[in-house]
Amino acid sequence: MLRIIFLGITKSLGKRAFSDSLLELIVRLTLGVVFLFACYHKITDPARFAKVIYGYGLFPASAINLIAIIMPFVELYAGLALVLGIYPRAGAVAVNTMLLAFIISITINLIRGHEFDCGCFSFGGSVHISNMQLLVRDVILFLMGLDVLLFNQGRMWCIRQGR
Amino acid sequence: MFIKDIIKELAILLGLAVVTAFAVNALSPKGIALFGEWDTARGVITARPKDDVVARELEMGDFEAVKEIYDSGAAVFVDARSDEDYSRGHIAGAVSLPVSQAEALMDNFKMDYPAYQMIITYCSGRECEDSHILAQLLLDVGYTDVRVFVDGYPCWEKEGYPVEKSNAVPQ
Repeated sequence: MLRIIFLGITKSLGKRAFSDSLLELIVRLTLGVVFLFACYHKITDPARFAKVIYGYGLFPASAINLIAIIMPFVELYAGLALVLGIYPRAGAVAVNTMLLAFIISITINLIRGHEFDCGCFSFGGSVHISNMQLLVRDVILFLMGLDVLLFNQGRMWCIRQGR
Repeated sequence: MFIKDIIKELAILLGLAVVTAFAVNALSPKGIALFGEWDTARGVITARPKDDVVARELEMGDFEAVKEIYDSGAAVFVDARSDEDYSRGHIAGAVSLPVSQAEALMDNFKMDYPAYQMIITYCSGRECEDSHILAQLLLDVGYTDVRVFVDGYPCWEKEGYPVEKSNAVPQ
């Protein structure tokens, strides 16, 4: 989707500045860095992250701590996979699965009017954006993940592409 | 084959993530228990980290019993919330000692209240652990009779018990 939009714009401007591979690299690195950045505060303060998960009001009590322990490391490894280009498709699937879960959680809470702290990049909502903006941001990241996943040409800066 | 390959790659990635996650959680001083206490009926919720501040033995879950102590005048009520929350409304007669400034304000507090003084801390209810953090700080500096009113200000106000507002925050 992003590729079509981007190439459409560059073609219409008459100057195709980036190759497909370069665009894939930019999208992949951006997505990877976003997830590496997002996991840091969750790894350093899992108790606070667990409380954020509780605040979503969607998860059973028995799952909250396990999610708080495991999810930041899935973000870490998925981010590394995308940035280093080691199994980038698996990284993209992991990232998009999490993004889909975020999108569903945010949508449910938007519909039922439930206040919550996103906990995405910090705790306590130091960066103030609305839940609708959160949703749009996650949808854009999801589309970026699809772009990486469905890319079927040679990737730049990719240590291990997978078969 | 394309999907099969991705599933294999994903299994490696998730396997590494799960193993690392549990290893780091076990070794980190900030690690948490595998299962937390998320039932507000039992008291203040907690993920049960290794440095957990929630001490069940300090908790007072019966607000009527807390009101009786309040009426007797035996305890000093200490508000662990922020200055802004305190100004908007607090238990009548409560002293403000926000957790974020508690260490800086502790010397003045100690001059005003002796170590044997019964103290009841509170914050915003059972999803707030600031009252527990403050209770631990008070115990650490020598207070011997510290308790936590777990339902905090929202319950007190809802029950119609005495509250007051202030523009200036007493220190």
